[in-house]
Amino acid sequence: MIRTENLCKSYGHHSQYEVRAIHDINVNIAKNCFVVFRGPSGSGKTTLLNIIGTLDRPTAGKVFLYDKEITSFSDIAFARLRREKIGFIFQNFHLIPRLTSWENVAYPLIPLGISLKERFERAQFFLEKMGLGDRLSHTPEELSGGQQQRVAIARAMINDPEIIIADEPTSNIDEETSAHILQYFEELKIRGVTILVATHSAIFEKIADTVYKMKNGRIE
Amino acid sequence: MHKHLNLLFLATENLLRHRTKTVVVCLCIIAILTPFITAIAISEGIRSQSLNSVNAGADLYLTSDEFGRNAAISLKYLDEIKKIFGVTKIVPRIVGRGFLQNKLTVIVGIHKEDIPEPVTCISGRVFENTNEVIVGHELAKYFHLNIGDQFSMRCQQRKVFTVVGIFSADSGIWGASMIFMPFNDAGDLFGKENVATDIQIYSLPGHNSEIATDLYDIFQNEAYRLQDKQMIELYVKKGFMLKEGVFSALYIVAIALGVPAILVTSGFGLSERKKEVGIMKATGWQTLEVLELISFEQLLISLLGATIAIVLAILWVRGFRGAFIAQFFIAEITMLPNFALPARFLPLPCFISFFFAFLLTMVGSIYSSWRASTVSPVVSLQS
Repeated sequence: MIRTENLCKSYGHHSQYEVRAIHDINVNIAKNCFVVFRGPSGSGKTTLLNIIGTLDRPTAGKVFLYDKEITSFSDIAFARLRREKIGFIFQNFHLIPRLTSWENVAYPLIPLGISLKERFERAQFFLEKMGLGDRLSHTPEELSGGQQQRVAIARAMINDPEIIIADEPTSNIDEETSAHILQYFEELKIRGVTILVATHSAIFEKIADTVYKMKNGRIE
Repeated sequence: MHKHLNLLFLATENLLRHRTKTVVVCLCIIAILTPFITAIAISEGIRSQSLNSVNAGADLYLTSDEFGRNAAISLKYLDEIKKIFGVTKIVPRIVGRGFLQNKLTVIVGIHKEDIPEPVTCISGRVFENTNEVIVGHELAKYFHLNIGDQFSMRCQQRKVFTVVGIFSADSGIWGASMIFMPFNDAGDLFGKENVATDIQIYSLPGHNSEIATDLYDIFQNEAYRLQDKQMIELYVKKGFMLKEGVFSALYIVAIALGVPAILVTSGFGLSERKKEVGIMKATGWQTLEVLELISFEQLLISLLGATIAIVLAILWVRGFRGAFIAQFFIAEITMLPNFALPARFLPLPCFISFFFAFLLTMVGSIYSSWRASTVSPVVSLQS
């Protein structure tokens, strides 16, 4: 489903201060797989997931999605891919502070022309699924870290994506919430979602199909 | 369509959520636009009233010419002018200025039967005897003049007049400080005999050139000036363009101070906005959708600011009689005029004001938003 070929990303390209975030990454991820990229900070996990998730472009190399090379896609096509196929969960949640939980979750649906009622109903469904049915009208600052991350997961799921990309989804939350998220990821896997997780902890490894260990921008 | 409506509603919500920013930007827009709209409305009102007066006036205006300027004209040719073919009526007038106590007034000396139609007495009657006058209602109000009151004026001669009527004229600004008196009394007051400041000539349509030729024969070696309606209209228009120009020049200075304020306030919360754009892009929003949302926000805030500015301009004109601004357009009035200003709020200046506000707010926000939405979402999210 997802394949990379000699993927490289460097910052400060062609300058004396060039930093190679990842180099020569070749991965092959089958559909409905749970893949974990594990490594210490600065090992290139986030950069790799950002490129696979079309949030960033590689300096060299290619990414294939369903055998279609997507690296050369336009920004518009990238946005369409993110809208239709990919859901993101970020380490620091990236919720919009002035919006309530349900508004944050429903935010991706606004440009799709979906009515307010339907947006609310869909957001409510996913928030209830995440155990936040009583927190619909709370703003992020009124929620704990774990609750915010669950809101972020609900937002990632709102478009029913085929791929979930989670960058350190449990790094800022307590163990109980981590376990809850783990359980939810298992459910997603059963439903056929392909999940890519970047983490430096081992908790996801027990349900992972593949674990890539990363160090210094390379897969070991 | 639903998508655009969603974006419009979201833009409205965003403005309500960022109340402080919305209020500050609105205040900046109002501060810039209100004086501008007020000035344009006053200018348009006076221009329209002046042109109406010109249109309702005589077809030709005859004066002497001294040093290339209008000068008093002798009445000795009055009978000859009357006889010119095509002339239907001639009205000799004395139009001058004099102080009534500390207030400069316009004195019009005219024969009773020649008083213009728009000048109608709202109380009393038109003068019939010597030393009787009718005064504009604003002037009467200012000096608490009633029918039967007497006052004295001094120009070249001192004279005592009796108020026999108070008039209201369509042309508020002209009628406001005007005194009509018999032609001969005005002559006495200014110490001039057998002259008029001008002779108004009413003619049959299409006869102006023939009348001009005949006048040339009558005056022969005497310097005179003959101006028709179109020329007067042109002077009026040119005069207002000049006044608007002076106002605009002063106003540009004010705008130069106000624009940076709008640009700064429009850019308030830029880093928060940048991050928000990053989140939008990461969750599948297209660049155009982000820009559409921001454009809607600026459109709404401009509409709100411009609408309030128009309402305040109307209040400024109606409630405060265009205080501070009216004096740019009407000579020798106080900061707070004591008569109702003629003002016209035309759609075009209002639309231009709205467009200007939109342009300003867009300049303040669109570039940064466009930058945020065209760079990779990762960069925007790091803000």
